[in-house]
Amino acid sequence: MKERIKEVIKRTFDLAEVDNNISTSNCEKWDSLQHLNLVVELESEFNLSIEPEDIAEMKSFNDICRVLYKQLNP
Amino acid sequence: MKYFIFRNSTIEPFFLDNETSYSGYENISEIPEESEAFVWFYMLSFKPDAKVLVEEIASYFSKLLLVSKQIPSNKNLFIFTLNDIFDFHIINGDYSLSKAIAEYNLNIILLAEQNKNIKILDFSNFTTQYPRNQLIDWKYYFLSKMQLNPKIAVEFKCWFSGQMQAIQFKRKKCIIVDLDNTLWGGILGEDGINGIQIGGDYPGNAFLEFQKSLLELTKSGVILAVCSKNNETDVIEAWEKNPNILIKKDHLSAYRINWNNKAENVQGIVAELNIGFDSVVFIDDNPTERELVKQFFPTIETPVFPTQPYLLPIFTKELTERNFRIYSLTEEDKSKTLQYRANAERLDFQKGFADFEEYLSSLEMELQLQKANSFTISRIAQMTQKTNQFNLTTRRYTDSEIIGFIENGDLVYCVSVKDRFGDYGITGAIIIKIDKLIKSVVIDSLLFSCRILGKGIEEAFVFSIFNKLKAEGYKMIHASYLPTSKNEQVRSFYEKIGFEIVSDSINVAEAKNYIINLILNEFKIKPYFNIIEI
Repeated sequence: MKERIKEVIKRTFDLAEVDNNISTSNCEKWDSLQHLNLVVELESEFNLSIEPEDIAEMKSFNDICRVLYKQLNP
Repeated sequence: MKYFIFRNSTIEPFFLDNETSYSGYENISEIPEESEAFVWFYMLSFKPDAKVLVEEIASYFSKLLLVSKQIPSNKNLFIFTLNDIFDFHIINGDYSLSKAIAEYNLNIILLAEQNKNIKILDFSNFTTQYPRNQLIDWKYYFLSKMQLNPKIAVEFKCWFSGQMQAIQFKRKKCIIVDLDNTLWGGILGEDGINGIQIGGDYPGNAFLEFQKSLLELTKSGVILAVCSKNNETDVIEAWEKNPNILIKKDHLSAYRINWNNKAENVQGIVAELNIGFDSVVFIDDNPTERELVKQFFPTIETPVFPTQPYLLPIFTKELTERNFRIYSLTEEDKSKTLQYRANAERLDFQKGFADFEEYLSSLEMELQLQKANSFTISRIAQMTQKTNQFNLTTRRYTDSEIIGFIENGDLVYCVSVKDRFGDYGITGAIIIKIDKLIKSVVIDSLLFSCRILGKGIEEAFVFSIFNKLKAEGYKMIHASYLPTSKNEQVRSFYEKIGFEIVSDSINVAEAKNYIINLILNEFKIKPYFNIIEI
């Protein structure tokens, strides 16, 4: 799952490489608008709906993994 | 094209990053000069109070009016129609909101009618493809004021670019269509003239509607040709004797009915009609034939033909939207089919003369030179968009850009051509940039429609313009040829009419620059041309 998430981040932000430490603070392209694009892409990729509260929390690769893991394994 | 979009909601996911910039929400204070085109895309917001919404809509239009007055007339403004995608009514029978929306849409249409640079984008054409609950995702609406569901962003981008293409006239010109199981059901050679299915009950009624749709397309300037494996005599007999067949010989600009392979026949039709392969759509029920044609001519469009005749309306709709949608019709389009057909007659007539000059003089050609004016600007812009072969520089211009040239004092002339066989309408244009201070003259664009080539009209038109410039005291004219994949035929046009090459390169992909001295050269026009200036 982690690899699929990375692929989505790469594709959405148009990046060459994505590592485990990527977050809003170290990635220039990850602004508020791109953040929503990322959510749209993640929702389509994993066929789920992410709640606004979670969206606000997803500020790094690790956050995303945590939120998605919680949703997929309730 | 770089767009600047006036908006009142979050729409960034719906447009391409590298070609779009945006106003602030409902902000009209800034109109950036460097933008090549402007888009007005206001959407209805969600408010339970219809009265407030009605006022808001009125204020949108006054804002738009202000903006439209400040946009230079040589740049386009594309205005989205307003749609009620929420459809939230507390009081049944309260039509105040519907009225306000209708009024807004009527007003923008009137605005577009008064200003050539303003065009309408019918947003409902996109929204009606979706059920209401797919058009909006309330989560994104409240998170980010996104009034359209970001999950349909890709589809929206496709739709938008399709609309832009339609406005910029990248339209196909010709349909080459099969007969058996395509224009009618069954096989003529086996089922006979009265056995084929056309008109009457299903499936004949479906084929009949398909024929009607194709005929309707010809009225908008699309030309029709038939390519069928059949005995020509059988088909001609069917055309004569089966009253249910609507598309007959007279509607066709060319046909090949024989047993040769279809690639060869398609090539013959394309050559006869003097059009490019990329302006052809090939319609055939047989996938093998489609594949063959596609193999030989990859730029020909070969849509998949439905196996069930009742799916023909969907096929027709997609065919039209993909290939033949246009923004507005000019008179030229409507009579184009007639002209292509008259061309064929002209070829026959050509055979009986001692020499070509004799033939040309028998044509009684009349050339009307006309300075660009409000009646001809659209046609001139359309020609710059569509003409590929006889086009020295292939610069594409919109109506507004043509107006820009005129306002700038440059010369924009077009020529309309008539001969004893018919009126071709406006078929050539020249744009000459003039610097009055240093008396310098540069040909920016020179182009002719293919249907009038081969009669010396090009030379006669250019020479008439040169003679005018000479009379006004200009001495030198600069010109250039910019090669494209399609304009090889004019590579040496300027040499032929007396220009000298200033810079030439062995590399065929590079531009060639020319100069001609007006004083040292005489520009004699063949006596059989009747040249009129209007």
